[in-house]
Amino acid sequence: MRTLLLVTLSVLVLSAIGFALGPYQTDVYRKLLLWVALALSYNFLFGVAGQVAFSHFTFYGIGAYAMPILLFQAGLPLPVAVVVALVVVILVALAVAIPATRLDGFYLALATLALAQLFIVVLNEGGEVTGGTGGLTNYRLPDIAGVALSGPRYTVVIVLVVVFTWFALQRVDRSFFGRACRAVRDNPQAAAAVGIDIARTKVMAYVLTSALAAVAGMVYAFVDNTVNPPIFGLENTFLLLFMVIIGGSGSLPGAVIGAVLLYLLPFVLAPLIGHHHALVFGLVMVAAVLLQPRGLIGVIESLTARWKRR
Amino acid sequence: MNHPKLTRSARALALSLATSGWLLCGLAPAQAQPANAPIRIGIITDEVGPAKAYAEPVTLGAQFAAKEINAAGGVLGRQIELQIEDDQGKPDVSATMARKLVDANAVIILSLSLSTATQQAQTVTLETKTPHYTPSNSGDTLTTQLNNPWFFQSGPLGSTQVATLLSYARAMKLKRVALITETSALGQLTNRFFKEGLIRNGIEVVAEEVVPGGASTAEPQMQKIRAAKPDAIFLAGVVTPENVLMLRAYRQLGLKMPILASYNLSVPVYMNVAKGLLDGLAYVDAFDPAKPELQKFIAAWRKDHAEDPNGLHGYGYDGVYLVADALRRAGAVDKEKLRAAMQSTRGFNGVMGAKGSSYTFPEGKRTGFDESGMVVRIYEGDRQGKVVHVGTN
Repeated sequence: MRTLLLVTLSVLVLSAIGFALGPYQTDVYRKLLLWVALALSYNFLFGVAGQVAFSHFTFYGIGAYAMPILLFQAGLPLPVAVVVALVVVILVALAVAIPATRLDGFYLALATLALAQLFIVVLNEGGEVTGGTGGLTNYRLPDIAGVALSGPRYTVVIVLVVVFTWFALQRVDRSFFGRACRAVRDNPQAAAAVGIDIARTKVMAYVLTSALAAVAGMVYAFVDNTVNPPIFGLENTFLLLFMVIIGGSGSLPGAVIGAVLLYLLPFVLAPLIGHHHALVFGLVMVAAVLLQPRGLIGVIESLTARWKRR
Repeated sequence: MNHPKLTRSARALALSLATSGWLLCGLAPAQAQPANAPIRIGIITDEVGPAKAYAEPVTLGAQFAAKEINAAGGVLGRQIELQIEDDQGKPDVSATMARKLVDANAVIILSLSLSTATQQAQTVTLETKTPHYTPSNSGDTLTTQLNNPWFFQSGPLGSTQVATLLSYARAMKLKRVALITETSALGQLTNRFFKEGLIRNGIEVVAEEVVPGGASTAEPQMQKIRAAKPDAIFLAGVVTPENVLMLRAYRQLGLKMPILASYNLSVPVYMNVAKGLLDGLAYVDAFDPAKPELQKFIAAWRKDHAEDPNGLHGYGYDGVYLVADALRRAGAVDKEKLRAAMQSTRGFNGVMGAKGSSYTFPEGKRTGFDESGMVVRIYEGDRQGKVVHVGTN
């Protein structure tokens, strides 16, 4: 009951912000929320399950490209397109995750990095299906039951995705599966000794988080009604990693703080210090890692604990 | 039992919301302009991303033009003001910046960043009916992929570059050529245009090589090209480090067949980073030293700057002057009137393009660069040298 109340309250408050903002702020807010959704799911994969994978943005891209391709090239109705896209994502994630369970750390990172690069090549060489280097544009979300989901109403859709991602991952994290993921991350041998199926746990974590990233991608496809290869490039993959590390790896609020801070930093700082915001980004990154391995959420928790002791 | 967990969640959510709310408040809201305020022209450039090397000089050229125009009394009795926004070379941020400029009452937006960024910003200008113009992007699909009557392009198209270079190749009577490029999106696109043009002109492509981004040598690719014995090499790469690798491998292997390079080789940075590798290289350019308008621009620029201008500066300069001309013809700071005036631009003499060429947006088309307005130049030592070919005939 309390969870339901909290979900409802979160949706209402986050949606209300969307209705109060002007067009520019709304655009920033929507894209920020999608980064938050991505950071939340990547935080589970990287921070909780301990998988150093660079393919998260690829699944975001698959979800995004799937929408215009399935809706307007294959002519599928929206609900069918969403289901087909999810099935495709799960199959691709399984195809990557099953052999990848043999890999660890650096090698998993390399394998998923290769997948991310391959995805960009496929997008560039995809001809009319992917639109090549220019991507796909000139489409819009079909009306749902006669209602056009545009303007602030579409912001509500994004809010629902973010809130769903948060509460779904929170529930998973506190379940047996979440504890199994942490055990596999911290000590695979000990986890196996207590009966945890390591391979299955890794595959499930990878598929679950990839599917969540793809859902965020499906929603992104209609934010600017255009998708193109540079959006899903490696630069954003690394930005996502930095968000989780700076916010506090393994912590949901940490992922949110990292995403909010790193996404908004250039927008807030550029009018004040111009392109030197890139330098500030580097300094924040170094400081967060050096001063507190648990990221900003660790700093906040330390300060809170100290304040309580007084 | 759940109570402590939920309280922690609520605190975490509140903290996150407070953070985002605080930061969103830092984003400047839209401000109304008084009637006699400067005419605001929005510019989307790339100050930190992959297009910075090209976008920065184009922006400098635009600023120089605005300074000259204001010194001469402005436009319609008002000064012009450039509001410059950085899209970090990211298409999604470019669309966000377009919204910011629309909110800030910019009468037109000039996109000087990546072609894909310009493409994504178009979704905003189409929706908000805001004139949008790129004086520097060369992507052929920018005016065709989206039917956006508010968007104009006057940078030389990739197809024009290819046609000019092919016309030069025909004059050289080439029969068998090799293609080499790198893995960037524009490099791939340029390569595709080159290949299609070569095949259309009956020239056989005997080797096609790609140097991966981040490579440390291009020797394996150049060795394959050497083995194919082409009459010439078409260099379609647009990323400076990879292009330098190709040129270095070409010299190290002692190859003698001529290189015909993309427009990217007109960027002056090569004169510094590819010293000793450039002599004899032919490249397509839109900077014709014989053009009187260009000579006048160079003289004016020299009074204000320590270094000579180059073609990239010229694009930004032409862009702002073309907008100022359209504003004068529109007679008012009105988006619809400005769009109509941009569309009716005929024979606007800019500094870029071959001598005698001008910008025109024919009815039904929104690409303004003269199709016969490019030239082929040759590097003499490490310096950009004489024009050896003009146009596509």
